[in-house]
Amino acid sequence: MIQHTQGSRLEVRGVNKFFGEFCALKDINLTIEPGELVCFLGPSGCGKTTLLRIIAGLEQQSCGTLRQGDVDISQKPPRDRDFGIVFQSYALFPNMTVTDNVAYGLRSIGMPKARVRDRVDELLAVVGLEDHARKYPAQLSGGQQQRVALARALAPSPGLLLLDEPLSALDAKVRHHLRSEIRSLQKQLGVTTIMVTHDQEEALAMADRVVVMNNGVIEQVGTPLDIYQQPASAFVASFIGAMNFFDSAPVNGQRVRLGNRELDLVRPLPATPDGIRLAIRPEDVHLLPQGDGEWEGQVQAMDYLGAFIRTHVRLHGVELDLVVDVDPRSARQLELRVGGAVCLNLPSDALHCFAA
Amino acid sequence: MPSFHPGKTFMMDSSVPLTSPSRRAGALSELRQRVTGRWLFALLLVLGCAVLSLLVLAPLYTLLSKSVENKAGDFVGLDNFAHYLSSGGIESAFFNSLWVAGLSTLVVVGLAFMAAWALTRTRLPMTGWIRGVLVLPILAPSLLPAISLVYLFGNQGVLKSWLFGAEIYGPIGIIMGSCFWTFPHALMILLTAMDNADGRHYEAATALKASPWRTFWTVTVPGARYGLVSAAFVVFTLVITDFGVPKVIGGQFDVLATDIYKQVIGQQKFEMGAVVSVLLLLPAMLAFLADRYVQRKQSASFTARSVPYRPRRDHRRDVIGAVMLAPTILFILAIIGMAVYASFVTFWPYNLELSLNNYQFGRMDGGGWGAYTNSLQMALGTMVIGTLLVFFNAWLMERTPQPRLLTGVFQFLSLLPLAVPGLVLGLSYIFFFNHPDNPINGIYGTLFILILCTVSHFYAVSHLTAVTALKQLDQEFEAVGESLKASRWRVLFTVTLPLCLPAILDVALYLFVNAMTTVSAVVFLYGHDSQLASVAVLNMDEAGDIAPAAAMAILITTTCAAAKLIQGGLRFWVDRSTRAWRQGTE
Repeated sequence: MIQHTQGSRLEVRGVNKFFGEFCALKDINLTIEPGELVCFLGPSGCGKTTLLRIIAGLEQQSCGTLRQGDVDISQKPPRDRDFGIVFQSYALFPNMTVTDNVAYGLRSIGMPKARVRDRVDELLAVVGLEDHARKYPAQLSGGQQQRVALARALAPSPGLLLLDEPLSALDAKVRHHLRSEIRSLQKQLGVTTIMVTHDQEEALAMADRVVVMNNGVIEQVGTPLDIYQQPASAFVASFIGAMNFFDSAPVNGQRVRLGNRELDLVRPLPATPDGIRLAIRPEDVHLLPQGDGEWEGQVQAMDYLGAFIRTHVRLHGVELDLVVDVDPRSARQLELRVGGAVCLNLPSDALHCFAA
Repeated sequence: MPSFHPGKTFMMDSSVPLTSPSRRAGALSELRQRVTGRWLFALLLVLGCAVLSLLVLAPLYTLLSKSVENKAGDFVGLDNFAHYLSSGGIESAFFNSLWVAGLSTLVVVGLAFMAAWALTRTRLPMTGWIRGVLVLPILAPSLLPAISLVYLFGNQGVLKSWLFGAEIYGPIGIIMGSCFWTFPHALMILLTAMDNADGRHYEAATALKASPWRTFWTVTVPGARYGLVSAAFVVFTLVITDFGVPKVIGGQFDVLATDIYKQVIGQQKFEMGAVVSVLLLLPAMLAFLADRYVQRKQSASFTARSVPYRPRRDHRRDVIGAVMLAPTILFILAIIGMAVYASFVTFWPYNLELSLNNYQFGRMDGGGWGAYTNSLQMALGTMVIGTLLVFFNAWLMERTPQPRLLTGVFQFLSLLPLAVPGLVLGLSYIFFFNHPDNPINGIYGTLFILILCTVSHFYAVSHLTAVTALKQLDQEFEAVGESLKASRWRVLFTVTLPLCLPAILDVALYLFVNAMTTVSAVVFLYGHDSQLASVAVLNMDEAGDIAPAAAMAILITTTCAAAKLIQGGLRFWVDRSTRAWRQGTE
């Protein structure tokens, strides 16, 4: 099996980045442990790529420090840092064969020819491209090019692997396949990896930990499960998965008012002078046969999305619109139809509460 | 197996100070390291700026200051301008230049648009050959059409009667000659604009039941509008700054370009030459700025999602295309054919026997074969020095980290030559390099100054070609190189240069051909030992040796055609040996 040096630990402390007046990154602090795969996730313009480029040294932070292992790399040029990078475009050298591309970094550090050959063979075997060694990038499919870029980045055994939207140029099927392939390769090598993506599914599926970013700040850091089940902010809640939001008012302690009713919450209310927003995921709403639930409503529309039906319900009394995901079997049992009446519960352990 | 520590390692912690004082010293030395890496490239680009300033900006400044000085070198304000105005120069030369250039622009852009339409929107056969013929004039010096026109429509011309008594010596001749040599410039711009049409737009128009005529006005013309504007500015500038055609066929008809020549060469009034130069610089500068302004508004309409347009079979449209192309092709072939024929005729119009007499340049004034070999040396020198300089500077600007201000300054200096007419540049060189206080005034009158001047004269277009090629490369090549511990130099030699080879060959040919054919800048700068073939054409024509002048013009054209063939061969070879990585397996 292919050998790799231990992945390195990365510490980002107080990093800010200004482009003129515009603040692209604001006081970024995070630590990435050896061998972790971390995803930077956020909408375009949130600063995730800027942060990645600062870690690579391709962009200079306005202030703050970066440590890789025991070394302060804050001011080092990219060439003196220890990382491999795969870009969205792959940036394969089109005039070189697959072999020459993968060998490029090994030749720049003056590795003897025989060892270069061995290392290239080893890597091409790992990414499954032994048969394409003498081809040029233009003769390969998108997925194959992606693997060449990965092999090229990994060839010098970097302590840190940076992936800048590595899968977004591929079609859906190849993307899903490569996702698990990259993940297992990364685990096998133990290389610390940072992946930038705007695709939440990709981030949740691959990462040990997700860094959700928005407007240059980190909104939340956590495991995929944490991020989905316990979003730290309304932004995270709405960016990851679907979420119903309602304006609400606190009553006391853990009670809030929604329409003419009061609801108990499991979690304490956020301390805020203004109103609060209640939130619940579409799949957490319980639909019940008529006469059973706490809330009554009418089905406005139903979108068949394959594995589930996205049902739009208007609640009586409060005139709120709610999106509920139901599996087709339950929908049949409940005799759901557009214009029909429906009852539902909002389980208090599924209710999230955010400052308005 | 690595171990993961969910939940606790990914700390968010803002209490750590940004930099502790003890770390600061180490960080400083690292900063210095980093900065020297970046500064090297910035310093090189500053050097590039300095070279361009020396070659363009400084001479221009000297020219401008000369225009407000008297012969003795005292500052006299706008007296020279007032003097030129009162002498009536403004009415004749300035307005003559404007209307002749304007009319030529209308004719050339109209013809070029028709030709581009016929080549891109019909299915005429042999478009490769047609394109070849249509761009032939670019290989000839601008003096060639003028000489040809004299043979065709001059006092002893074969087609004199076609003018119904009008004189070819004057605006008619200037406009016809200018149309000939500026046509390929307009055509190439319009072909670029119209080749990349989006087939979807045409399909949409058909689906919406638009007639061909309406489709033409709502899809074709709007798609080409930036090309049309750009072509108009380019042609206008070329005509108004050209000196060759009006010199040979202008007769008593004064234009700014010939006026400069007269003031400087004829009357040795250098300060008046400077005044006319400033007047010539104004419209050229305006056209340049207007073109830049329009181009900035242009956004790419042909995106990765576009589908290239393929004209459907339509015989009627093909016939219309052929009718539009025929006069232009005939005109170009007639002009070149006449010049070739005239160069072999023993003594026009009395002895029409063909001979090589006119090619025995040793027997005439004008520099003889020495001028031709000088031209070859000068063109090769311009090609080598110019290509190296242009590409290295463009690479510094596009592919190395540079402060934004510096790239802005450099871009301005690189494009400036586009706005400076050759005559003006040449005259500036006299003032700047022939100044007794200039430490390098020793190069005046040598081939070297001709090379420098020609490189500067044609710098802008070469620069744009190089920058376009460099921009097309993946923006992350250098970043990948850095991550793989390769220096920018290694990436340059192993990736960037091989990928830019076709563009490098294009720039080399462009510089060679222009150096062979140019007259305007070098006419002030050649010395006794550095006479040039293109200038020899001018001098022989002036001396009345018009047939040998035609012969020399044909020799220049043939040389350029040979260069084009060699370059075409090289490009074919490059394309073939790189086909595997350019196109993939298909």
